[in-house]
Amino acid sequence: MTIASDEPQVASIAAPSAPPGPARRPSRLTRNRWGYAYVAPFFVLFACFSLYPFLYTAWISLHDVDLGDVDGAQWVGLANYGELLTSEFFWNAARNTLTIGVLSTVPQLAMALGLAHLLNYSLRGRTFFRVAMLLPYATSIAAATLVFGQLFGRDYGLINAGLEAVGFDRVDWEGGTWSSQLAISVIVIWRWTGYNALIYLAAMQAIPEDLYEAATLDGASRWKQFLHVTIPGLRPTILFTIVVSTIGAVQLFGEPLLFSGNGTTNGGSSNQYQTLGLLMYDQGWTNFHLGQAAATAWAMFLIILVVVGAWALLARRRARAER
Amino acid sequence: MATVTFAQATRIYPKSERPAVDALDLHIGDGEFLVLVGPSGCGKSTSLRMLAGLEEVDSGAVLIGDRDVTDLPPKGRDIAMVFQNYALYPHMTVEANMGFALKLAGLGRAEISRRVGEAAQILDLGDYLHRRPKALSGGQRQRVAMGRAIVRDPQVFLMDEPLSNLDAKLRVQTRTQIARLVQRLGTTTVYVTHDQVEAMTLGDRVAVLRDGVLQQCEAPGVLYDRPANVFVAGFIGSPAMNVVTGPAVDGGVRLGGAVLPVPRDQLARAAAGTGRVTVGFRPEDVRLVGPGAGVPVVVNVVEQLGADAFLYTKLAAEHTDDVLHPSDVVVRTEPRSAPGQGDELSLAVPEGRLHVFDPTTQRRVD
Repeated sequence: MTIASDEPQVASIAAPSAPPGPARRPSRLTRNRWGYAYVAPFFVLFACFSLYPFLYTAWISLHDVDLGDVDGAQWVGLANYGELLTSEFFWNAARNTLTIGVLSTVPQLAMALGLAHLLNYSLRGRTFFRVAMLLPYATSIAAATLVFGQLFGRDYGLINAGLEAVGFDRVDWEGGTWSSQLAISVIVIWRWTGYNALIYLAAMQAIPEDLYEAATLDGASRWKQFLHVTIPGLRPTILFTIVVSTIGAVQLFGEPLLFSGNGTTNGGSSNQYQTLGLLMYDQGWTNFHLGQAAATAWAMFLIILVVVGAWALLARRRARAER
Repeated sequence: MATVTFAQATRIYPKSERPAVDALDLHIGDGEFLVLVGPSGCGKSTSLRMLAGLEEVDSGAVLIGDRDVTDLPPKGRDIAMVFQNYALYPHMTVEANMGFALKLAGLGRAEISRRVGEAAQILDLGDYLHRRPKALSGGQRQRVAMGRAIVRDPQVFLMDEPLSNLDAKLRVQTRTQIARLVQRLGTTTVYVTHDQVEAMTLGDRVAVLRDGVLQQCEAPGVLYDRPANVFVAGFIGSPAMNVVTGPAVDGGVRLGGAVLPVPRDQLARAAAGTGRVTVGFRPEDVRLVGPGAGVPVVVNVVEQLGADAFLYTKLAAEHTDDVLHPSDVVVRTEPRSAPGQGDELSLAVPEGRLHVFDPTTQRRVD
């Protein structure tokens, strides 16, 4: 917006009362000197640590670069992207990312909604529950994943012991495709449910109480009130959490990395839980193909753009239909 | 259609010693328009919410018709409520807002749309059925809230300060609309307001509450002419009734060196304990008389309202020791011949226009 309003046309619309007389006003830039000075530190840091790496990654993705010899980059155009699209590793990782993403995001948000609804009642010890919900989020991924790795262990894991106790067979959680992805999803769900629940709770508390009273008088049960008052009131918040967890899901890295237990980035012996994040790391830092890793990074970015853009479009369409 | 009865209904909020509504006894007739009025915190909204089922009843009972609804959930009571902030569902159209209760009650689509259509026609909302509340003006939202109540065709309407979010002009307009609408539907209505003009203009009867206790419940005219105690006398009427306390003397009460005549037996009963009497008189009942013939006062402020002028006067200084509440005495006069600021006047109140109260109990003495 700032850039746009620096254009003379827009600026003159913004300040129609400006006298067109000979006394020339100082240009907008000089007038707002201090304003720009105050916001500069952020943008300088942003340029150094976000914008430059972002563009440099794009540049690198167009080269064949070896990690040991960054200066000896060879221009290859879009070859890295072409390779990516024909690579079974990429498609495998994309599929894994999608399934883990769906398996974790959907139950996570549904449970968060339910939890928030319960916490919205005036319970005894409400503050305790609210803090408790945020604890998983405050726990280090490494510590949590290591504990979960133990829980999901094949031979001595608590979960298998439990399954066996009620008469089921042991499951090789890490070895199977679905089982490993399910286990990783459980870790993600555990970590993020409370965080989303708190966001929902905050939004729920902004819904006026008299709407619930009106619904009660209209004969709506608790469940109908949840459907017809709470959910519509939370719609923008739900969209926000969907976008944020989609971004998180595409970038999933720490959980599958640590879940393997040995620090390798191949995501299991048959890459059964290798996500795009792991693949990128694998390409760059295990196989030293920086150019390819950069192309994967950009592919992830584009996926996020497309998914979030789709959500935003859906939301806008919905909002327009409501007007 | 139904009657409504509060029988010793009491509500004590948790962590509060004093009841918000204290042993309320009130019977509202079938088709009657009853207004609950009082200053904020008097328990009028709480009483309404007890009737709605939104507030618990700690002791006593609430009846709709012959049915004891004290422990019934709101939806079992067959009532509809208009909220102060309207409480319209923001994501639903006007049509869906009005039809929501019917939809939940399992009515057919055709029946719902017929009833919503009728209500919309009565309230002149036909053009807005497909809009959302956000796209409506304050007055329109208010009408949707009314519409949501009338499509239900309930036994009782409950209205909780439904006009307080409208601007002054629209409030007066909507007030008449509500009066006409309720008259036409003939549904029993309980209406809460803090505005005594609204109370007087709308109510078949008006119940005045203070600190959770019912002070008086009468037709507006009776409330105005025969207030049961000092509080009601001061609350109903604008500008408020002049209320002063002075020593009882032979033939009346002494005020500013003059004597306001009070009939002997009334005087005797009111002054029995203390030798003092509290009297009240309305601004329009005060007469200006010749010098020395009445209570001497000095005009402080003159308020010109067009149809009337109100004089805010102070008792002449040398006599103020007689008066326990040396408040302004307000006098209504003809606007065109109104005295000016600083003028000295002499006031009298015709016999029969004086309200007499016991200064200890604050109750009316007849």
